[in-house]
Amino acid sequence: MTSPRLCVRSRPARLLVALPVMVAALAGALTPLVRPAAGQDDELVELGRELYQTGCSSCHGPDGGGVETERDGTRGPSLEQSGEAAAYYYLSTGRMPLSNSEEQPTRKPPAYDEDEIEALVAYVGTLGDGPRIPRVDLGAGDLAEGGEIFRANCQACHSASGSGGALSYGRAAPRLSDASPTEVAAAVRVGPGQMPVFGPDTLSDEELAGLVRYVEYLDDPDDPGGVPIGRTGPIPEGFVAWLVGMVALLALVAWIGTRSPIGRRRA
Amino acid sequence: MSEHPVSQEPVGERLVREEPGRGRPADQPPVAGRRAERGAAVCFVVATVAAIALAVVYWEGGQPQAEGVLLALSLGGIGTGIVLWAKHFMPDDEVVEERPPLESSEAEVAAFTADYQAGGSSLRSRRLLLGTAGGACAALGVAVLFPIRSLGPRPGRGLKQTAYRAGGLRVVREDGSPVRPDDLEVGGFITVWPEGHTDASDASTLLIRFGDDADFQPRDGREDWTVDNLVAYSKLCTHVGCPVGLYQTESALLLCPCHQSTFDVLRGAEPVFGPATRSLPQLPLGLDDEGYVIATADFSGPVGPGFWDRGR
Amino acid sequence: MTAGPRTERLLTHRLARWVDSRLGTAKLARTALNKVFPDHWSFMIGELGLYCFVVLVLTGVYLTFFFDPSARPVVYDGSYGPLRGVEMTEAYRSALELSFDVRAGLVMRQIHHWAALLFLAALAVHLARVFFTGAFRRPRELNWVIGCTLLILALLNGLFGYSLLDDQLSGTGLRIIYSITLSVPLVGTWLASLLFGGEFPGPDIIERLYVIHILLVPAAIAVLLTAHLAIIVRQKHTQFPGPGRREDNVVGERMWPTYAAKALGLFFLTSAVLAFLGGVFQINPIWIYGPFDPAQVSAASQPDWYMGWLDGALRIMPGWELRAGGFEVPNPFFPGVLLAGLTFALLYAWPFLEARVTGDYDEHHLLDRPRQRPVRTALGAATITFYVICFLGGAADVLAATFGLSVNAILWTFRVLVLALPPVVAWVAYRLCRELSARDGVPTASRVMVREIPGRLRRRSRALTAGESATDRG
Repeated sequence: MTSPRLCVRSRPARLLVALPVMVAALAGALTPLVRPAAGQDDELVELGRELYQTGCSSCHGPDGGGVETERDGTRGPSLEQSGEAAAYYYLSTGRMPLSNSEEQPTRKPPAYDEDEIEALVAYVGTLGDGPRIPRVDLGAGDLAEGGEIFRANCQACHSASGSGGALSYGRAAPRLSDASPTEVAAAVRVGPGQMPVFGPDTLSDEELAGLVRYVEYLDDPDDPGGVPIGRTGPIPEGFVAWLVGMVALLALVAWIGTRSPIGRRRA
Repeated sequence: MSEHPVSQEPVGERLVREEPGRGRPADQPPVAGRRAERGAAVCFVVATVAAIALAVVYWEGGQPQAEGVLLALSLGGIGTGIVLWAKHFMPDDEVVEERPPLESSEAEVAAFTADYQAGGSSLRSRRLLLGTAGGACAALGVAVLFPIRSLGPRPGRGLKQTAYRAGGLRVVREDGSPVRPDDLEVGGFITVWPEGHTDASDASTLLIRFGDDADFQPRDGREDWTVDNLVAYSKLCTHVGCPVGLYQTESALLLCPCHQSTFDVLRGAEPVFGPATRSLPQLPLGLDDEGYVIATADFSGPVGPGFWDRGR
Repeated sequence: MTAGPRTERLLTHRLARWVDSRLGTAKLARTALNKVFPDHWSFMIGELGLYCFVVLVLTGVYLTFFFDPSARPVVYDGSYGPLRGVEMTEAYRSALELSFDVRAGLVMRQIHHWAALLFLAALAVHLARVFFTGAFRRPRELNWVIGCTLLILALLNGLFGYSLLDDQLSGTGLRIIYSITLSVPLVGTWLASLLFGGEFPGPDIIERLYVIHILLVPAAIAVLLTAHLAIIVRQKHTQFPGPGRREDNVVGERMWPTYAAKALGLFFLTSAVLAFLGGVFQINPIWIYGPFDPAQVSAASQPDWYMGWLDGALRIMPGWELRAGGFEVPNPFFPGVLLAGLTFALLYAWPFLEARVTGDYDEHHLLDRPRQRPVRTALGAATITFYVICFLGGAADVLAATFGLSVNAILWTFRVLVLALPPVVAWVAYRLCRELSARDGVPTASRVMVREIPGRLRRRSRALTAGESATDRG
């Protein structure tokens, strides 16, 4: 399954309602509930198809088959195996629509509101048999097991604290605290961008629930030691040692000791 | 001057003289001196209160931030008080001390030499004893180094082989479950070990599924080392042995987070950036009768970082 | 007079007499009381290191009562929920218990770790002060050698200390140490096997590092530190030039009471800074890193700051190695062993190298101002630049992620900078020194400032020939 990569510019009119829409979309994204599979609702799919034709088809093709040009190579990959999960992930994190196909998609305020996303998701889901939006039941997940899965599969790119990390040639694995539980679960199943794909035979739904629960824990972990200074390890710790500790100690010796006698005349 | 003037007895051979000081607030009108004294006293009182509070915090169950801050206040209060005491009430005259020569005088050296040579004649004249004693000490010194050998085993073939060498072993996940090719989606990426050896740290293996449209070019002689678009490489970086845990699916690159060595999955995991100089050894894959993935033989070369005789 | 103070004085006097009649301490103690120390603030930086060491020992002893360096696998059942039921070594488990279930355990552990970071920072600044002021010159070459050894011991003890906890981050570091050891030609595989007790990870390494960390190295540091201080007492401290200050005297404060009080006060204040850091700033959150697993690694894996130059050198080094006839000198050997070895060899040799190059074998008790020695200052600045770039190289992936840059581009840039920038900095520093000196109206090369102490030198410095100016010798 190739992941959707490119999308065309959004309608200028959308930007006018972007702000309240963003708030609403974020509020929707923060709830732990999962949208039910909407593939059966014909009206929703039709709305989705219309939105798709206007906003996505110039890069992803009129029927989601992708667009290849002689000059640019793949302008937009095929969405046939993307499934609802991919569409949900990309649209609700604002990574799509992407105005410049060269740049790495990064998290932005979503360009579509909740209902529009639901419609688009429903439509993309009909294009093939890609993954559905995962149902995440945080209560059923085991936190400790989730932690073990996280450290075995995720920390190499996203770091042990989930603060993200550098990939090759300017790409980056993003910080995880911005993502809602459903977005995390969708990303795991979809493998967007450079991320590998962890399907149900690699990571069961129970394991996924535990993993998502641990990622949510990392948003606000126990910090019994005090100010966490990023939780990214020895680099910020070294900065604090020099800029707080050493500065303080040097200030103390400057206070206690005397100044240089060079150039001083006898008092 | 203070109540008790410094004694005029010469201190050894050195002459220590005082130069007039810069003036101390204690000599100034009593108000200025008392203010400084009060300042220092306050510091000590703060330190006392903080110490008591620290004890209470501990008694009540402890809290790291409170413990640290109260300890800092207590130590800092005492320290500040002492420094203020020193700065305001202790003599700050510049004192001059002479530096006598460091070297011993010629007479002392001569006397030492004479005493040493007088006593050493019985050593120097007994050549046989010196020689045999020296030999004995040297031999014993070498002999007592031998127990160092017990610290570790002889570095053997273990560095060049893994448990896969038995051939035909299934690859399994950490929980021991075997793997079918379809367990991985395209773009999937898991870590596996030889069956029965999930604790063998040198045998950790990356199993990657690339797509039909990937431009996979196997090395010469390795055309049948993949199964159903599944390829397997050693997880240990050939630089300094960190697990190469980052797989970037779009560019089919493996990135080691330790020192940024980068390996091309579609070209036999050859290094394309960073300090690594060798490809990740590849594991030849096959399928057993039940359709599970197996390793038909050991890796294509010694896994992990290089060493002197790796190529032999 | 009231009865109280008189009684107290009699008691202390009686005690002092008791000790003196058995050891004859009064004469020695009087010498000590009257010792003169120049009290310039930059002379107290080494003291900061000393006090950090004391705090390390005190907090360290407390930690040893709870930490168990065993590699035995156990299942966690303590109060930190996200790790409950996870398999780990007893070493890691005891570190978690210390952090979560022992009162004052976490603050002690954090004070200990911050003290280690500051110990090395203080030593680094102290080293720079001694270097740039030329305090290592005769008769203090021996103390310089002892100081360099103390630096290496402190570095190693810090590295071994944080590796004891067997968490994912420090375990990754141990893997790198193992592989660097492996890369030594001829004997590398033996060295690694003997040190670790076999192939990595080796079941014995934590226990061995424990003994080295709590006993062998601290004992060595204590002995060398004592020698370091004793030599200073014997030779007396150096001083900056100024009114009344000559090569054959030392001007400052008496030890008793002022200098002793200031030193004691500084000890308390240093401990206060460490206590503050230990309570307020979280350091080394091992529960987030998880127990060590040789098949796992986190993004942004770095060693503690003082090892960053080595990690950066490993990253910046391009993919070159030597291979012939089936034998090889692997890539990590060059930055990991050769560069490190060269660094410390040059450090040790510096006083002797400088004396030979400048022809200056005189005793010096007056310090240089850095501007008076442009060549030394320039070389020092260039060396610091080289290592700062190595440090930054070690942070390449964090820099890339933080600033949205390509980590590959960053490393390529550092490959160029690490060679190109030091000469530029050297040149700038040289010109700055000459400029400042010219403004002071003082010629460079402090040999001109030195009053020779007649009759006591074995070798004299080379006299200036006619037409040669003092500024020719840097």
